[in-house]
Amino acid sequence: MNVEEILKTEQLNKSYENGLKVLNDITFSLKKGEVVVIIGPSGCGKSTFLRCLNMLEPVDSGTIRFKDRVIDRANKDVYELRQKIGMVFQSYDLFPHLTILDNILLAPVKVQKRERSEVAKEAEDLLKRVGLSDKTNVYPRQLSGGQKQRVAIVRALMMHPEILLLDEITAALDPEMVREVLQVVLELAREGMTMVIVTHEMEFARAVADRVLFMDQGVVVEEGSPEEFFNSPQTERAKQFLNMFHYEAR
Amino acid sequence: MKKGLLSALLGITMAAGLLAGCSQAKAPAGAPAQEASPSAKARSLDEIKKAGTIRIGVFSDKNPFGYVDSNGKIQGYDVYFGKRIAKDLFGSEDKVEFVYVEAASRVEYLKSAKVDVILANFTVTNERKEQVDFALPYMKVALGVVSPDKALISDVSQLKDKTLIVVKGTTAETYFSQNHPEIKLLKFDEYQEAYDALADGRGDAFSTDNTEVLAWAIQNKGFTVGIESIGNLDTIAPAVQKGNTELLEWLNGEIKSLAGEQFFHQDYKETLEPVYGDEIDPENLVVEGGQV
Amino acid sequence: MQNLGIQILFQGNNFLRLWVGLWVSLKLAVISMFFSICLGMLFGMVMTSTNKLVRFFCRLYLETVRIMPQLVLLFLVYFGAAKHLNVNLSGGTAAVLVFTFWGTAEMGDLVRSALESIPVHQYQSGYALGFGKIGVYRHIIIPQTIRRLLPSMMNLLTRMVKTTSLVVLIGVIEVVKVGKQIIDASRYTVPDAALWVYGVIFIMYFAVCYPFSRAAALLDKKLRD
Repeated sequence: MNVEEILKTEQLNKSYENGLKVLNDITFSLKKGEVVVIIGPSGCGKSTFLRCLNMLEPVDSGTIRFKDRVIDRANKDVYELRQKIGMVFQSYDLFPHLTILDNILLAPVKVQKRERSEVAKEAEDLLKRVGLSDKTNVYPRQLSGGQKQRVAIVRALMMHPEILLLDEITAALDPEMVREVLQVVLELAREGMTMVIVTHEMEFARAVADRVLFMDQGVVVEEGSPEEFFNSPQTERAKQFLNMFHYEAR
Repeated sequence: MKKGLLSALLGITMAAGLLAGCSQAKAPAGAPAQEASPSAKARSLDEIKKAGTIRIGVFSDKNPFGYVDSNGKIQGYDVYFGKRIAKDLFGSEDKVEFVYVEAASRVEYLKSAKVDVILANFTVTNERKEQVDFALPYMKVALGVVSPDKALISDVSQLKDKTLIVVKGTTAETYFSQNHPEIKLLKFDEYQEAYDALADGRGDAFSTDNTEVLAWAIQNKGFTVGIESIGNLDTIAPAVQKGNTELLEWLNGEIKSLAGEQFFHQDYKETLEPVYGDEIDPENLVVEGGQV
Repeated sequence: MQNLGIQILFQGNNFLRLWVGLWVSLKLAVISMFFSICLGMLFGMVMTSTNKLVRFFCRLYLETVRIMPQLVLLFLVYFGAAKHLNVNLSGGTAAVLVFTFWGTAEMGDLVRSALESIPVHQYQSGYALGFGKIGVYRHIIIPQTIRRLLPSMMNLLTRMVKTTSLVVLIGVIEVVKVGKQIIDASRYTVPDAALWVYGVIFIMYFAVCYPFSRAAALLDKKLRD
C-alpha cells in the first residue's frame, strides 16, 4: 500500500485579533484520492482550517505542504497553487454579471489561458453530468440554490484541481435541494477525487468519507473511519455532539 | 472675510484641482514670469498695440448698453464705443475682442488681466475706485420718476404727501428717504411688483434709475417720465486695471478728442434713441469729453 | 399689434444659438464626466484603503468639495489661478478642471460604496479560482461595480449638465446665458419672451437628458437579465 501524500499541515496555529484561538496545533495529512470529512460544532475552526489550506487566510505559525512544496502565502506561486486546490463556498458565490457558461469559463480562459472553444466543450460535458445542460446561457439569479451550487462545483472542477475543498456547501440550501448537490459530490468521490469536506449532513458524511475528523475549539479531538466514529465515538465531546442529531421517541 | 476664505482655500483647491486634471492644465505660453501679486499684470498699451487686438469686457444681456441681437452680434451703447476704440487704436473696428462679463465679476476680470478695459455700464463709486482705475466718464445716470399721464408728476414738490413706489435697496430708496421725508414710500422687492403697483394705482409715481424708467415708459402707453433727472448724479466710465496708467491716459485722451465730433451723441442716436424715443433730452444721459 | 413671445425664437438665428449654447453645456459636462469616471474609479479604490491616514485625506478631499460651492471653485480656478499663479486658463478649461475636481470626489464616493456593497465572497471566489488582485478587480469586481453605479452615474451627469449654467460667471456662454441674451435683446419689444425662451430651454434639456437616462435604464435592465 503505497499511497501518495498530497497535502500536509504541521502544527498550524491561528488566533483572532481578540485573542481567541481558532486553530490550535493542527497537524493533518491528506492522501491522494482520499475523502476527509471535518465535522464539529459551529465556531470550532473547521471552516477557518479549510480557508487556510487554500491560503485565503494567513496562519500565525506552522507549515502547509502541497506535495513537496511548502506553501507561503506571501509567495507569488500562491496563485498557481490555488488552481490546484479548488474551493466551493457555503454562499452562492457565482458571479452575478456573467452567464452560467461565462462563470465557468472565466478562470480557465483568463487565468489558465486555455482556448475558449476547447474549455466550452468540457464545460458543457460537465454541466450535462450535473443535469444543467440547458442552463448555459442564463444568469445565476435565474437558478435555484441547488442549481447554483452544482454550477459552483463545475466551475471549480474546470480548473482541474488536484484537491477540492467544500465548505458547508449545503448549509444555505432548502432541504429538498440538498440531495441533488450531495449526489454530485458522492459521484466525484466515487471517481477518486481528493476532497476535504466540511458539513453538517451526518448521513452524507458517513456515506462519502474515508476518514472523519472531529474538531472542537480549534483542536482535532477525534479522528477515525466513519464506522468507528459514528458507531462508537471515543471522546465525551464527540458523543455529546453526535447526540444533538439524535432524537428519542417518547 | 470672504476674501480671506478664498485665499485660504486657494492653495488646497489648486493643488488638488491640478492633481485631478493635470492632463488638461496647460499654462499658456508667454505668460510673463513675475513674483506673486494680488493681480496678474495687465497688458500695457504697447503690448496691446503689438498684439493687434484689444480685449474689452462688455455686458451681453443689458439692452441697450451691451446685448446680443438675434443674429448673435453684440450691440449697444458701450459696444459702439468699444468698436471706436479699436478703430482709433488699430484702424479697424473689428480689432476688438468683446468678452462677455457679469456684473459681479467685472472687477475680477480686470484684476486677473483677462480683459484690458471694462465697458460694461460700470458706475463710478468710491469703493470701486480702490480696486480699479476709472477713465473719464462717457455717460451719467440719475433717478427718474414715472407717473400716469392723467396725474403727471413733473416736479418733486408735487409728490408731497403722495405715495412714491420704490424698489428696496436701490439708490432711489436711499435718496428719497434721506432728502424728502415728506413723501410716503411704498417699497417692493422686485421691479415687476413695483411696476404692477404703479399700473394698479397703488402709488402716484415710481422712481428708479432714469435709464430704466425711460425705457419702461416708452413701452407702456399712458405713462410718462415727468422727472428725467433727480438725485445724485452717477457717472459711467471705462475702467482699467489699477496702475495701467498708459492705457488710462490714452482712454482719457480718446474721450476728450471724441468730444469734437460729439461722438457720444452719435452713439446715443444709434443705440439708445431707438429704445428711449426722441422725446427725452440726450443731455440727461450723455457726457462728452468727460465733462459732467 | 400684439407680439407673440414664441416669434422671438425664430428671429435671426436665435434657435440655432440656443442649440449651440446647449452643445457648450453638454460638451463641458461630458468631458468632465469622462475624467471624473476615470479618476473617480481610482479614487474610489483608494477610499476603500484600510490605512487611516489615506482614509482621512480622502475624507478631507470629499468634504472640502462638498462644502465649497462650485461657484467659489470656478472663481478660484479662473480668476485665482491668473492672479496668483499667472496661469491664464480659458473659461472652458477652468470649468472642466472644477467639474472634474468635483466629479472625481462624488464619483469616488459612489465607487467606494459600490465596492463596499460587493460581498466578500465575490473576492474570495475569485482568489480561489487563481486570480490575482488585479484579475479579481478587472474581471469580477469592477464589472459588477459599474452595473451598480450606472443609475447614480447618470444622476451625476445630469447634475453636471445643470450645474454648467454657473460657467457663465467665468465668461462661458452656455444655453441659459444665450436664453438671457435673447430675452434681454427683445425686452422692450417682446416683454413675455422669458416664458417662451425658458420653456424651450426646458424642453431642450429634457430632449437631451431623457435619452441618456433612458439608455442607462435599458442598459441596466439588460445587464440585470
